[in-house]
Amino acid sequence: MSIVDVIDRAKSEGRTVLTEIESKQILEEVGIPTTTARLARTGDEAVKAAKEFGYPVVLKIVSPDVTHKSDVEGVQLGLNSSEAVTAAYQEITQALKRQQPDARNEGVAVQKMARPGIEVIVGMSKDPQFGPVLMFGLGGIMVEVLKDVAFRIVPLEPRDARQMIREIKGFPALQGFRGQEPADLGALEKLILMVSAFVEAHPEIEELDLNPVFVYKNGALAVDARIVVG
Amino acid sequence: MARPDGLGAAETRSDVQQRLDRAFNPRTVAVVGDKRAMGYLWLRSMSTFQGKLYSVQIDPDEIPGIEEIGVPNFASLLDIPGEIDYVVCAVPRQISPRVVADCIEKGVGAVALFTSGFAETETEEGIRLQEEIGQMARQAGLLLIGPNCMGIYNRRLGLRHSWEQPAGDAGNVGFISQSGTHCINFSLVGDRHGIRCSKNVSFGNAVVLDAADYLEYLTDDAETEVIGIYMEGAQDTRRFFRALRETARVKPVVVWKGGVTAAGARAIYSHTAALATVPAVWDAAMRQAGAVQAESLDETIDAVKALVYCKPGSGYRMGLIAMTGGQSVVITDAFEREGLEVPLLTDASYDKLSQFFNIIGGSYRNPLDSGGTIGWGLLPQNLQKLLEVLDEDETVDAIAMEVGAGFLARRMRENPGILDALLDTMTAHRERSQKPFIAIAHPGHLEDVSAMIRSRLLERGIPPFASFQAGAKALRRAIDYWRFREGLD
Repeated sequence: MSIVDVIDRAKSEGRTVLTEIESKQILEEVGIPTTTARLARTGDEAVKAAKEFGYPVVLKIVSPDVTHKSDVEGVQLGLNSSEAVTAAYQEITQALKRQQPDARNEGVAVQKMARPGIEVIVGMSKDPQFGPVLMFGLGGIMVEVLKDVAFRIVPLEPRDARQMIREIKGFPALQGFRGQEPADLGALEKLILMVSAFVEAHPEIEELDLNPVFVYKNGALAVDARIVVG
Repeated sequence: MARPDGLGAAETRSDVQQRLDRAFNPRTVAVVGDKRAMGYLWLRSMSTFQGKLYSVQIDPDEIPGIEEIGVPNFASLLDIPGEIDYVVCAVPRQISPRVVADCIEKGVGAVALFTSGFAETETEEGIRLQEEIGQMARQAGLLLIGPNCMGIYNRRLGLRHSWEQPAGDAGNVGFISQSGTHCINFSLVGDRHGIRCSKNVSFGNAVVLDAADYLEYLTDDAETEVIGIYMEGAQDTRRFFRALRETARVKPVVVWKGGVTAAGARAIYSHTAALATVPAVWDAAMRQAGAVQAESLDETIDAVKALVYCKPGSGYRMGLIAMTGGQSVVITDAFEREGLEVPLLTDASYDKLSQFFNIIGGSYRNPLDSGGTIGWGLLPQNLQKLLEVLDEDETVDAIAMEVGAGFLARRMRENPGILDALLDTMTAHRERSQKPFIAIAHPGHLEDVSAMIRSRLLERGIPPFASFQAGAKALRRAIDYWRFREGLD
């Protein structure tokens, strides 16, 4: 499905927040590297998808009413067998009923478990004066508590992407801290520029969160994605 | 380009720019509504104007005073013979729509509304009147500056905001300001620092013409080589950002943002009705655009001074010259704190320095503690050698020198010629060297002597700064700009 189709379908259903599956479909369309997610409506469908992707896999709840999947115990990582996937499917479904009984359950998203990398966040929100603004930061506590983030106004140029990565205080963590492999900064810059070009071309995108993006020695991968349309 | 908040969609950049050029370089100016209670502020300020000046005033009590100044007065703009290129309107706010209507009918180049009491008052009448005059001007394609502003200052033509401002002998620095006070102060204080203005504008509430219009104009203006901006908030921030990014690629722009704090944001709303900006986003936008940021009038002036007077250089490594040991230590801290580096010199430089440097009470590792070596000004030939070493040393990108105003003042009592010899040596270095070169002249307890030394340095094209910190900050900003231009970082 094209980007426009995905957005139109969500709008026709009265939704402005795209699901992870939809958000990732859009990323794939744009060429932003991501882990493909497939919807499974039953445990058997989940196992079938897992076999195609190859183990280990991740299961995440799909519900238009859930903003933070982990808050409703809606995420299970590192599932290594069909038994584990079947069990996880049941657990996630039941947890949703327990945690948020009113939430719609549309199934689970199955995706290949990504190899761990350095976690970063790439986001876009709209500033009332400057319009679309990109944000970059290291994942977890660095963004949430220390507010160690860099901003740039869309559209970005290559220099802007280069600078914003180097502007954060946590930048040394990307250079191979304590024996960790250094992050592929070129791939990260490219990803940021692709996000900039995408949101510039699609003014109907109100918010975008790639959280986290795993950065490796070679390449970068958006592991979770959330897009909000206007 | 579509202009949702500015002039009609049919107006292109070049149309507006051409018409702004007429207003910035007027041959005829009319002041509407000047009066005794204001001390005839406008007519007196315009006494230096090189073109033809007219007054419009209907109050019979005011007319004799205006005629005394020697400015012909008319009852209406429409009665003035010939074309009017620029109008300053100082009438009460409720009369302003009538004056705007007359400006439209007369076909004037532009009108600046000194009149205030519009949206910034947050009153119904103020907001309504602002909408009314804005709509009238936009529909008719009238260039309206302000309201709530001082309008245009053209130093070359003696078109002024204040009778204290210099007229004639114009320079190459343009200033765009949302505040009239800062606009005037920049021209007055800047002049004391060797910054001569080309064209300035105070633009207040920006109801028709926005910051970007003036920026585009000064970007294209051949007389303007460096631009300063005092900004509270644009009507169209994205357009301002785009214009800034274009400008910084061809000319340095120093941006001083007012209302950065939460309380400051409240103050800017009451001042020019501008909205608050998220500071981190603003900072990012400025860096992205390649603009130099400043936080006060002094910082703005210092940054502009470095950009106007220093040769462009994009390296951070400093060669530092101070007069005593204590100053050598703190000048080094000041430059390092601003992110500039103070490296060791090459062996070749140390070989040369060891030939003549006086190490009793001095040292030359970098910083160069040189008071004794150059006899606190009495041995200019040693200063020349020292500057040559730093100029030739490839580990040094830029040079800062403490001139030691206190020492000089004492020595000049015995030998008044000593300053000239020192200045000659520094000037010869400035002309020969391609590296940015600044002087530090602390006012200390001898403000008058220090001021004299500062102005003598400026005459020679060497920018002086009042403290190590101010010099380091200004130089760092200038170097960052040149790095941006070279595509570094």
